[in-house]
Amino acid sequence: MSNSQKSSGAPPALLYVAGLVLMVGGTYASLNLKIEAIEKLNEQGLPLDLGKTVAVIGVFLILFPAIKSFFLNPLTEAIETRNHQLEDTFSEAENLRAEMHKLRTDYEARLAETEAEARFQIQNQIKEAQNLRQQLMTEAAERADALVRQAQMEIEQEKTQAIATIRTHVVDLTLAAAEKVIGENMDTDKNRRLIAEFMDTVEVAS
Amino acid sequence: MDAFLINGPSIFASADAMSAKEPSIWGLGAYIAFVLVILLVLMSYAKKGLSVRVFKNPVTSLFEQLYLFIENMCVSSIGQHGRKYIPMMMVFWLMIFVGNIVALLFPFAPTADLSFNLGMALIAVCYVQYEGVRANGLLGHLKHFTGPKLSGAMVAISGLIFTIEIISELMKNVSLSLRLYGNIHGGHLAVEAMNQLGNKIYVPLGVLVLLLIKLLTCLVQALIFTMLTCVYLSLVTHHSEDHAEEGHTATAH
Repeated sequence: MSNSQKSSGAPPALLYVAGLVLMVGGTYASLNLKIEAIEKLNEQGLPLDLGKTVAVIGVFLILFPAIKSFFLNPLTEAIETRNHQLEDTFSEAENLRAEMHKLRTDYEARLAETEAEARFQIQNQIKEAQNLRQQLMTEAAERADALVRQAQMEIEQEKTQAIATIRTHVVDLTLAAAEKVIGENMDTDKNRRLIAEFMDTVEVAS
Repeated sequence: MDAFLINGPSIFASADAMSAKEPSIWGLGAYIAFVLVILLVLMSYAKKGLSVRVFKNPVTSLFEQLYLFIENMCVSSIGQHGRKYIPMMMVFWLMIFVGNIVALLFPFAPTADLSFNLGMALIAVCYVQYEGVRANGLLGHLKHFTGPKLSGAMVAISGLIFTIEIISELMKNVSLSLRLYGNIHGGHLAVEAMNQLGNKIYVPLGVLVLLLIKLLTCLVQALIFTMLTCVYLSLVTHHSEDHAEEGHTATAH
């Protein structure tokens, strides 16, 4: 029983004794004592007996501690125990709820962290892939340019070579034609040099 | 039927019962013992249901509800320290209520006896004075009876107020006891008178018309007695609690 419910009255033993004395005294007074004023009240319709009143006070002085210890204390104790149990249960539930809330917050934070990390990784991978792509494209372009340049060089060489060959053939043909026309061998070094000088001055259409 | 009306319980009783004298102290003792036996049986039965966490026993449940009701009444009218008066109020409530219920079914009941009611009122009022002295000291308690602080020639008025307050305190005994006695005894007389009217047609008019009202009276009278005692206790003890709270607040600051 809590302190606030402790009785501030006299000890039970004293109440029992006082109650018993009052009961006996009241009963004796009721049976033997006659008070004139009370008799007059009775005659007027107010049935008062002070002996009974004293005895009743005695009965109640016994009843208060008796009923309290027999029934009210166990009842109070049971109600308080149950209330404490309920409070404990509610408190436990509240703790569990707080713990669950904390776990959920942690989980959400961890999830957000993981998501951020994954997003960062993905961004990095994308950036890396983009760099690689750029690098590969650059390399491919350079390589293509190199190939184009090489092909152009080769074409140029082939062209030069072909022009030289054609020039030689043209000289040969010209000399052969001139030889045929003139009827004599004109294949002299001087003629060959003259024709070559002439050929140098002539622009061949490419 | 006629014989039953004359010799039966009070709600069926005839005019003979109306003129019957109050029982002797042994009669009153027997009725008090009867009320106590009823309470003892109910409490013993209710106690069996206290062991479980949720009170499934209906009687235990009723006692629990009564306890909570009385607790609420004490705390709301007296304050937090009013919890210590719960056992006393419970005893008063139970004795008056069961006594009143007995009065419904029997020709007499403890609460239909002015001496019994005066005994309870004297206990209540004396206990209120005792608590007042405990809470405020003898002088502080007596000062309550003098009203507001006056000076000079007005002190005579304080004396007058003191006298009136003392008479008022004494009259609390009369009002508490007479109210209960008047309601229960008057209820008996009313039922008996109405039964007399219905005797010729063999209809207990008093029962039919007044039983529900009397049942309500049983409840209300128990409530009024305990509530007034709570109010009286509140009047003499609330100052000390206020001061205690003020002191506590000051200490906290």
